[in-house]
Amino acid sequence: MAADAGIIAIGAGIAIGSAALATAWAQKTIGAAAVGAAAENEKMFGKGLIYMVLPETIVLFGLVIAFLLWTKM
Amino acid sequence: MFKPREMKHALIIGAKEDVEHTIELLHSLEAVHIIDFKSRELEEHLHIGAPTEKASGVSQSLLKLRSSAQLLAFEREKQTISEKQSEKLIQRDVTLKVQDLELSVHSLVETKTRIEEHFRKIDERIHQLEPFTAMDIPLELYQGYDHVGVFTGYVRDYKKLAESLPKITDEFELFTSNETDQMVALFVSKQYVEDAGKLLGDCGFTEIKLPEGKGLPAQFIEKWTDQQKELSEKLLQTTKDILEFRKRYAEFILASEEYLTIQVQKAEAPVLFGMTEHSFLIDCWIPADDIKKVKETLEEEMQGSLFVEEIEPKHEDEPPTLLKNPRPVRRFEYLLELYSIPNYRDIDPSFILSLIFPLFFGLMIGDIGYGILLILFGVLFMKMFKDSEGFTNIGWYIIIAGVFASIFGLFLFGDMFGLPFLPPPGETGEAVYTWSTLLGIHIPIPSLIHKMESLGMTQLLVISIIAGFLHLSLGLLIGIFVERKHNKKHAITKIGLLFVLTALTLLIFVMADWTIGQWLKPLKDSMVAPLLWNYLIPLVKAGFSFGGLLVPYVSVVFGVLGIVMIIIVTGGFGLVEVLEVTSHLMSYTRLAAICVAKAAMAFAFNMIGLGLILSGNIVIGLLGVILLIFMQLMVFALGALSSGIQAVRLHYVEFFMKFYKGEGIRFNPFRYIRKYTTTE
Repeated sequence: MAADAGIIAIGAGIAIGSAALATAWAQKTIGAAAVGAAAENEKMFGKGLIYMVLPETIVLFGLVIAFLLWTKM
Repeated sequence: MFKPREMKHALIIGAKEDVEHTIELLHSLEAVHIIDFKSRELEEHLHIGAPTEKASGVSQSLLKLRSSAQLLAFEREKQTISEKQSEKLIQRDVTLKVQDLELSVHSLVETKTRIEEHFRKIDERIHQLEPFTAMDIPLELYQGYDHVGVFTGYVRDYKKLAESLPKITDEFELFTSNETDQMVALFVSKQYVEDAGKLLGDCGFTEIKLPEGKGLPAQFIEKWTDQQKELSEKLLQTTKDILEFRKRYAEFILASEEYLTIQVQKAEAPVLFGMTEHSFLIDCWIPADDIKKVKETLEEEMQGSLFVEEIEPKHEDEPPTLLKNPRPVRRFEYLLELYSIPNYRDIDPSFILSLIFPLFFGLMIGDIGYGILLILFGVLFMKMFKDSEGFTNIGWYIIIAGVFASIFGLFLFGDMFGLPFLPPPGETGEAVYTWSTLLGIHIPIPSLIHKMESLGMTQLLVISIIAGFLHLSLGLLIGIFVERKHNKKHAITKIGLLFVLTALTLLIFVMADWTIGQWLKPLKDSMVAPLLWNYLIPLVKAGFSFGGLLVPYVSVVFGVLGIVMIIIVTGGFGLVEVLEVTSHLMSYTRLAAICVAKAAMAFAFNMIGLGLILSGNIVIGLLGVILLIFMQLMVFALGALSSGIQAVRLHYVEFFMKFYKGEGIRFNPFRYIRKYTTTE
């Protein structure tokens, strides 16, 4: 059982860790572009913020899976 | 409150000679949004108006005034005015006064520049002569020879020069300040000047011209330094004069600049009008509540020579947006406009934003300690940036969010700075830090949800999903309401999405059944109990097993119904929106995620800090206090920042996408908001 718990914990870690990496990767590119757009036109701030935070949902999927795994430990 | 103010489209038509009077009246009414005539197709005989005759005069005065202010390095933000000045008084002699100001400023600034220039020149001369002080040869000896050529300057390779010169001739004198700094004065017989010049060139010679005059270089430098001292004093005096002058004229500059700006605005207004040979036409939007007043004032003042005609709005018209909200809600219009100004036909979501944004923000913080810190921080923020509208609004959001955070912290989570007041049930008070064990008194504030427990996290996730369901449904309902007339297809798709959303939420409820069940217990003795336990709960719970998951029949019915509706209306294309709404619902789990992440961070820091403080060693204890304060501030800052941004995002992305179009035109009435002048 203890070994199972360990494997599950590692799985949960991979789930949220890889999702977070993916989010960070996406945000890196979008963030740079959004700041550029906002610097040129202040009205783009709102839109830029939206584009910027869109990929955050990816990490939440990771979180939900990690949570579901965790409740099975 | 939920719609922008109603606008009426109107045409104002009058005789050309009345145009200036009309402009004055419109400006004082402050209720007319003029549409640029250019943007319409020009009809025959109708052309764009030209600025009034006054325009060039006032523009010129304004330009002069601004250039004077610029020369004085006048900083408008730093100036205050004792009382607003009467426009009539300014009007009397503003042109002359501006001219005088320009002249005085120019002469003052010119004096200053002249002194500075002089000072700089002397500086340059001193700089040139300085190297020669070491050689101590009077200046007159450097010039005025018939048979001797003189070179003065730097050489890069002094050694080579000193060695090679005797090979050319022995009729020379070479002086140097000292051998290291390579400053030379070479006197050589005229016939060898050319060769010596060549040699110097090879040695990397840079010539320095000597000033004319008599006496030792040191004497010159002394004289010039004295001159510079005098100039510095003069410069100081002139700078003082300019400052004095700026102070004396500050109020005049502010008031007359405002006056002239208004005059220019009025004089150039006809550019927005349509003109025929003898008449003018103003195409405008007027708020429905004001149109009667505008009509009456214009017709009365112009004794009937002016016509205000209301015209039927057309579908392609784009009326400007003027939001109408009670004062506390009005602050949230800023957050809305940061996204996009609402369209005239949009539902104004400011009110919803003003409730739900701080609610989400507060829920994610969910701690009375950080809540109170947020309120203090918000107050400080508003005080610090009281001149900036945007920042004071943000300060206000932070304060309200702080209130919500405190309420959640007190009644739901029972937390202060990440520490619960009471230990979770089932754990002994010794093992965990709580306020009760730390302070040694029993603080009867229970935690209904323990963020750091498995059960608490599930409960938080379910709360997040419920919040998401309600928020998204509200968005979809508004969307259905908005689209019901213009675009029935969109409206039906949204109804389908609402069904799918309900199906998903029910599915999640059933999966987390035991969490919800617990909250429904207080309803057991109420009127709705039979309805709930006899019909609704069994209905939701009835389902089949699919891969170990219980899938309720209601979910299937709602889901299939919704998807079929969408497919019928959009032909399968709308299925993308089904995926979207699913991911949007999941997106609300960020409420729980941030709440828990912040609590976990605070928990870890508290373990470290309190461990040090309670170690028994005074030095380590003090270190622990400092460390704990620093770490708590970090949790606060990170938590507040991410909670704020995520709360904004849930509105901008998930909520607004369901109904909000934006990209409206701001209602911009023909007026000027006076700060320094009055018409009295």
